[in-house]
Amino acid sequence: MTIRARTMQDAKQQSHTNAELNWWIFMRISGLILIFLVLGHIYMTFVQVSESDATFDAVINKLSNPAWKFYDWLLLALTMLHGVNGARYSIDDYVRSRPNRAWVRNSFFTVVAMIFALGTVGLFSFNPN
Amino acid sequence: MYKGREGQWAFYLHRLSGLAILAYFLIHVISISLFVFGEKIYMAVHGGYDFILFRLALILVAAGVMYHAMNGLRIIVMDFTGKGVAYQRQLWYGVLLISVVWTIYVAFKVLPRVAAGV
Repeated sequence: MTIRARTMQDAKQQSHTNAELNWWIFMRISGLILIFLVLGHIYMTFVQVSESDATFDAVINKLSNPAWKFYDWLLLALTMLHGVNGARYSIDDYVRSRPNRAWVRNSFFTVVAMIFALGTVGLFSFNPN
Repeated sequence: MYKGREGQWAFYLHRLSGLAILAYFLIHVISISLFVFGEKIYMAVHGGYDFILFRLALILVAAGVMYHAMNGLRIIVMDFTGKGVAYQRQLWYGVLLISVVWTIYVAFKVLPRVAAGV
């Protein structure tokens, strides 16, 4: 069950499983890291330069540097986990009937896993030549 | 703290901005990943992003991310300090202020480029 807590103490008491408490902690830690990663990404690729500068050549150029590849993959993985877990909280809150919930959840997770695989394969199978 | 007051609005906006960012993020990953299929397919999709509504909507994405980030900090402060809960209302107005200032700054940087079509 989703944790609705205001303090770490409440969260510990409300969590029925260790996994749920770990997700609660994960949301806070990944959130802190994502503040820097995502706002940095938005600043560098949208505020500083134009969105239409994201041409094919620009993407190829950027990804030929392993440091950017790592930055982008960390961004991809953390945003994916943080966002999907957040969406799971919403699904648990608003999809009330059990069979519906299972299917909404499972189809959602399947689509997301496919997009995550596409992003990861895209980043790492890539060869600038 | 919750019903019908600032705390409730903060919660709704956090969920709404979170789900909106996730939707944008999933589309963003798919469209950027298209470069593995070559320049033609990549640019076929990305050419469409020059459309003015899309470029203006990106300012909203930047705004939503800043709200979500700052309200996330507010949540962390509430979770781990007693003072955070006591001042959650004031913190929320701070979150709104930072989000508005950032959005104006982003619009100031982006709008001239959109107007000039670059």
